[in-house]
Amino acid sequence: MAEISEANDSDSSELQDNGSEAPQRPESEPDFDPKLMRKTKPGLKRLVLTFSVLFSFLLGFPFLWKSVEIYRSPLPFREIDSLSTQLRSDNLLFPLHFHALFVGFDHDPDHLRRSILLEITKLTSQNPKCSNSYTLSVNVDLGSHCLHSPVSSPHSSSYPCGSVTATDFVQNDDVAVDERLVSVFGGKTKEYIVAVVKGGSERAVVGKHRHAWMVVGGGRKVEVAAVKVAELLVKLFINGGREEGSIRNEFMPVGADGKIVLSFNLLNADPLDWVYDWDFEKIDDTLLAPMIEALGPVANISVESQVLYHTPKASFSFWNQKLESYVFSTKDLPFFVNSNEWHLDTSIAAGGRSNILQFAVYVPSAKECPLLLQLPNGEISKTNGFISPMWGGVIVWNPQGCLNDSEFEPSAKNIIPIQDLENMFEVFIGQFRQLFGFKSVNVYAGASGDWNLLPSERGFTEWELDVLSRQHTCFNLHSCATTLVSLSRLVQSLPRMIIMDDIGKQVKFSLEAAKLALSNASSGAYESSAAASSQARSLAEDAFFHPSIMSVSYYSFEHCFAVYSPFFLPVSMHVVLAALRELRRYKQEKAKYLVWKAKANTSS
Amino acid sequence: METFNNSKPVLVLLLLPCLLLYSLISFNSSSVEAAMHTNNWAVLVCTSRFWFNYRHMANTLSLYRTVKRLGIPDERIILMLADDMACNTRNKYPAQVFNNENHRLNLYGDNVEVDYRGYEVTVENFLRVLTGRHETAVPRSKRLLSDEGSHILLYMTGHGGDEFLKFQDSEELQSHDLADAVKQMKEKHRFKELLIMVDTCQAATLFNQLQSPGVLAIGSSMKGENSYSHHLDSDVGVSVVDRFTYYTLAFFERLNIYDNASLSSLFSSYNPSWLMSTAYYRKDLYKRNLEEVPVTNFFGSVMETIHTDAAYKALSRRNSGRFEAQMSLDSVHHAERRTLMKVNDQEETHDVNPEGNKQPLQGEEGASKCPWSTFCNKFRKGENVDSLVNYGLVTMIPLLVIPTWLVR
Repeated sequence: MAEISEANDSDSSELQDNGSEAPQRPESEPDFDPKLMRKTKPGLKRLVLTFSVLFSFLLGFPFLWKSVEIYRSPLPFREIDSLSTQLRSDNLLFPLHFHALFVGFDHDPDHLRRSILLEITKLTSQNPKCSNSYTLSVNVDLGSHCLHSPVSSPHSSSYPCGSVTATDFVQNDDVAVDERLVSVFGGKTKEYIVAVVKGGSERAVVGKHRHAWMVVGGGRKVEVAAVKVAELLVKLFINGGREEGSIRNEFMPVGADGKIVLSFNLLNADPLDWVYDWDFEKIDDTLLAPMIEALGPVANISVESQVLYHTPKASFSFWNQKLESYVFSTKDLPFFVNSNEWHLDTSIAAGGRSNILQFAVYVPSAKECPLLLQLPNGEISKTNGFISPMWGGVIVWNPQGCLNDSEFEPSAKNIIPIQDLENMFEVFIGQFRQLFGFKSVNVYAGASGDWNLLPSERGFTEWELDVLSRQHTCFNLHSCATTLVSLSRLVQSLPRMIIMDDIGKQVKFSLEAAKLALSNASSGAYESSAAASSQARSLAEDAFFHPSIMSVSYYSFEHCFAVYSPFFLPVSMHVVLAALRELRRYKQEKAKYLVWKAKANTSS
Repeated sequence: METFNNSKPVLVLLLLPCLLLYSLISFNSSSVEAAMHTNNWAVLVCTSRFWFNYRHMANTLSLYRTVKRLGIPDERIILMLADDMACNTRNKYPAQVFNNENHRLNLYGDNVEVDYRGYEVTVENFLRVLTGRHETAVPRSKRLLSDEGSHILLYMTGHGGDEFLKFQDSEELQSHDLADAVKQMKEKHRFKELLIMVDTCQAATLFNQLQSPGVLAIGSSMKGENSYSHHLDSDVGVSVVDRFTYYTLAFFERLNIYDNASLSSLFSSYNPSWLMSTAYYRKDLYKRNLEEVPVTNFFGSVMETIHTDAAYKALSRRNSGRFEAQMSLDSVHHAERRTLMKVNDQEETHDVNPEGNKQPLQGEEGASKCPWSTFCNKFRKGENVDSLVNYGLVTMIPLLVIPTWLVR
């Protein structure tokens, strides 16, 4: 019994001891009840311990939150929206200055100016994307004195009177006339000049720079000339010879990063008959290099070439006895390119977003030689070539071996003669112009007459380059704006997607380039605005197509919760409960102590 | 948009009418400028691997062969296959894949160019192909380089279920992922029209969530139905083709490159009793009448061609003698110089941009002087999240130690 009671005593808590002790000294504190009172102040150790653990948890919480935060580079959404609205609401305006010069006519320049302006407004189409603002100044040169309108315009008053006379236009050498006009007006101004001259034979020519002239026979009304001038200004100088003024996407072959790769291929259909090679480098330097340089602001062009063998075509041709050759028609053209055998797309130089234009020279086999293209009206094509928009062009070249059999001596490798190669490349330049939406012929047949277009050694005349710059600026800026708007919509719709710094930087630089392009466009610097707009578009595309924007690879909130809660939930529950329990215990003990103190005070 | 609503109501009031105007105008202009149909693309995906899924690879290869025969070139076909059938050790006919027990046609015979093979066929790669978001080093042959005028045929086969498609036994493609990818393609004008053909069980559920205009979709079975294989080849030992694909191929075997059978004739050629399931197609997003659309719009090649009227006579005005003289002078030096310049140009264009982009950022960070702001900057950079957490944990220790020491 005694051991048990002792064991009981030792096992039991302090309370029991007090209880066993209590009956031993009841005489000192008669009302001491250990359940309700305590003698010593309760210690703070337990409370401080638990609360410090809780506090350190709470302190660590912001660190945890930061570590699972999704990094989103801040994108300038407002600027993107403002760029987009700016492009939509006030149309991109290119300023154009026209200057009409009438030599040998005695008419009021104001009247002429009004009639030309009236005709221009009749012909201008409503282009929703980009429009042009133009000013027109008219000079009438009567030899002895000049009249100009409007009187206050600097363009009309700067013309030196009497410098252009009818005798300049007498000779039939258009190039010389063009040079003369350049020397008179100076090549540095960006205005478009039309000279209407009273003379003998009727002639209408557009030069290589920004000048055009028209020789009007005597007795013709000058109003008719005004209509023709207006048509020239709108249809050629503003629209570049296209039917409508709007931009068609299939004639914009520049890739999204502003690059085009021209891939020239010489295809030998059957090398067992004959094998042809070409001296590409010479032609590249002399013919292609000036054109590539001229198109520098619009696109960054690189050239490559290859020779392929065993490349038959996929369509059929038929023997035509009258023409003594094999003939294929325009209905066969969509099936001409035999993509199974023509391995054209082997370029490793082109990046992912560049555009490749294939130019193929097809040398037919002996079984199908000579091969001619017949047009729907029965004529034989002069060029034997065709294009496919956004793809490139094909020319069929018939080798000498089938044209005149007797002189031909087959050797292991024949070189295409230089003259043929030049002709071929002239067709290629024509096809390249077609891919950009221009015509390859040198005549513009308008409603009120024809204009002869002087060809330029660079493939594009200066006024055509202006048209290209303006259209590409317009297209690039709109494309850039829509891309950036799509990107901002996408980013805002996925609030937990990581946006890397690269994307933020690209968007920022794209917006800066777009602003630069807009300011250059409004001041009339077409080339620099085209270059800036191309850079804006390529940066916007880089940002939109950044490989990190993949919706499958970002953390949803459920994922985050599922990863962290199995550890933190139980632990935090225990910590919080412990702290609350300690707090409650402390309060109880404190209350007990206060009760004892009150009792002790009252008893003493 | 929600964040803008909360914080800047005035801005919203200003932007909202502009955005309405923008959406109106964009709607108008998009209906005015319809792009011309320029080329056709095909994305053929086989999502299964392992020997018993032989028929899925045969399906995809048969469609590949059909599409090539009708004129789409390899450079415009993206073929994704697990490609483990032809050289499988269980294949009694090594390097040959058949889609019929008469073994008449070897699908793996010649000119098969597989773009994504084996374990590269993943949901991520598939979505990257569709949206165009590749790493810079991915070659052009693995990219879908379509433009506004492209018609794309997307064919998927494998095992699927209600609103999902199983990829290689380890992942799933959900219908909302596919719809999201198509929506992004449409926003970026990556296609003019899209035809989705799915040959799996419960295939029609995969395109439930599509909402982009210009999309036509057909699936081999509806929700709750299975798609079955056509026949078992007892020689090879597995089923070699699925019913839906078998009847599709039967339709195309009768066509050649010049035909113009319409899409409605293709869709009505599927007989539910032969297929043992209902082939369901969805044309509410597709504006054109199916009777007028030839199948070669998607399955074949079309090249819009324009005849070149004349050569650009830039040179004929030049003196030919001058041309010759110029060439003989420059020909010696031009060859080497030109190739060197080319290489430099390419390197230059690659280097300029990233360096130019990097410079301003350095300047921004160096400007802060206050240590707290540098700490904040480092905080915000968030590059070394691990070290940050380590710092946090380390600072917690003294916080624990000090109170313990205080109350001791």
